[in-house]
Amino acid sequence: MAAADPYDLLGVARDASQKDIQKAYRRLAKQSHPDLNPGDKTALGKFQELNAAYDILSDETKRAQFDRGEIDASGAEQPQRRYYRDFAQGDSGSPRYETSSGFSDFADADDVLSAYFSRAGRHGFRLRGEDRRYRLEVDFLDAVNGASRRITLPDGSSLDVVIPPGARDGQTLRLAGKGEPGPEGGEPGDALIEIAVRSHPFFKRDGYDINLDLPITLGEAMLGGEVTALTPTGSVMVTIPKGSNTGRVLRLKGKGVPRRDGTRGDEHLTLRVTLPEPPDADLEAFVAKWSAEHPYDPRRRMGT
Amino acid sequence: MFDDLEFCRQLGVQQTALSLWIEEGWIRPESSAGVWRFSAIDLARGRLIVDLRGAMGVNDEGVAVILHLVDQLHGLRSALHGIAASQATPSGRS
Repeated sequence: MAAADPYDLLGVARDASQKDIQKAYRRLAKQSHPDLNPGDKTALGKFQELNAAYDILSDETKRAQFDRGEIDASGAEQPQRRYYRDFAQGDSGSPRYETSSGFSDFADADDVLSAYFSRAGRHGFRLRGEDRRYRLEVDFLDAVNGASRRITLPDGSSLDVVIPPGARDGQTLRLAGKGEPGPEGGEPGDALIEIAVRSHPFFKRDGYDINLDLPITLGEAMLGGEVTALTPTGSVMVTIPKGSNTGRVLRLKGKGVPRRDGTRGDEHLTLRVTLPEPPDADLEAFVAKWSAEHPYDPRRRMGT
Repeated sequence: MFDDLEFCRQLGVQQTALSLWIEEGWIRPESSAGVWRFSAIDLARGRLIVDLRGAMGVNDEGVAVILHLVDQLHGLRSALHGIAASQATPSGRS
């Protein structure tokens, strides 16, 4: 079979740049990727042609060979690929992925389709129960370190939820089979539990890292010293280097939020030099005398 | 059914990438005794993600949006198939 010219397929000129070729491919791929066009029977063929064309033109070596007529447009034989849509619209459907959220409002509406959709919901061609959604508020440290919680449901039953270490605010946990029972003996739906993480008075989370403002005394800032700092897993001793200003960040490696692979992010301590309260008369007298003798301008770079 | 190593090998992706996909809910393998078990549909879905993030240049946020819409689309399509099937014995509205 003589394949079409790859330049024509992509709709680009013979001297098109790689950037233009990539742009053209992306535009056309959106329209013809079988999984983005599950109802279009012609999409598969178009996408294969498009990929074969892009395979040649995106590779400068193959493109030059094609331009010299050394290879033709049919390209290499590609292994048979099964697309997602082939599974998603099989007889069994894909209850793990498919969602009814695209039409769940139809069942409530008072229109001609509602009878069909509510029938579908009741008798279910998939015979699978509805998912139930819950929201669970957890403390900051429980989300970081992991915890288990028991939710009591409106019907009096309860549900044990294991919060994985490193759970994020807004993350949804899926408890398979803990949703509504399936109609006519079908599979039950899932319980979907959205985690809402409460804020912590001192810790702030940034991805897998934790940020903490650490107040230190004037003496610790100037002379250095050992101080105690909070981490999600308890207190640790931290050495403040001599001459540390406010804003200096100390990193506690591996004291942040656990990742799935077992490693942890870091904790970042931002030092805050804190003057005594109420002000100390001796310190004031000393600083007044010292300042008069040792002027310095921390704002000189601002040009004021 | 196969495990995560085989899944990553077939798709040519890193295990850290797969962990992220699972964490984001893009891939939802079955798990038994704390071990992920993948089937052909997960692999096909993984190929779609690879296409989107690779040659099609979609970023992670875009992938999440696309997968959500694709899942809705399939939900709708199977609902419509159900309706088409029920047309044989239509249930009348009063």
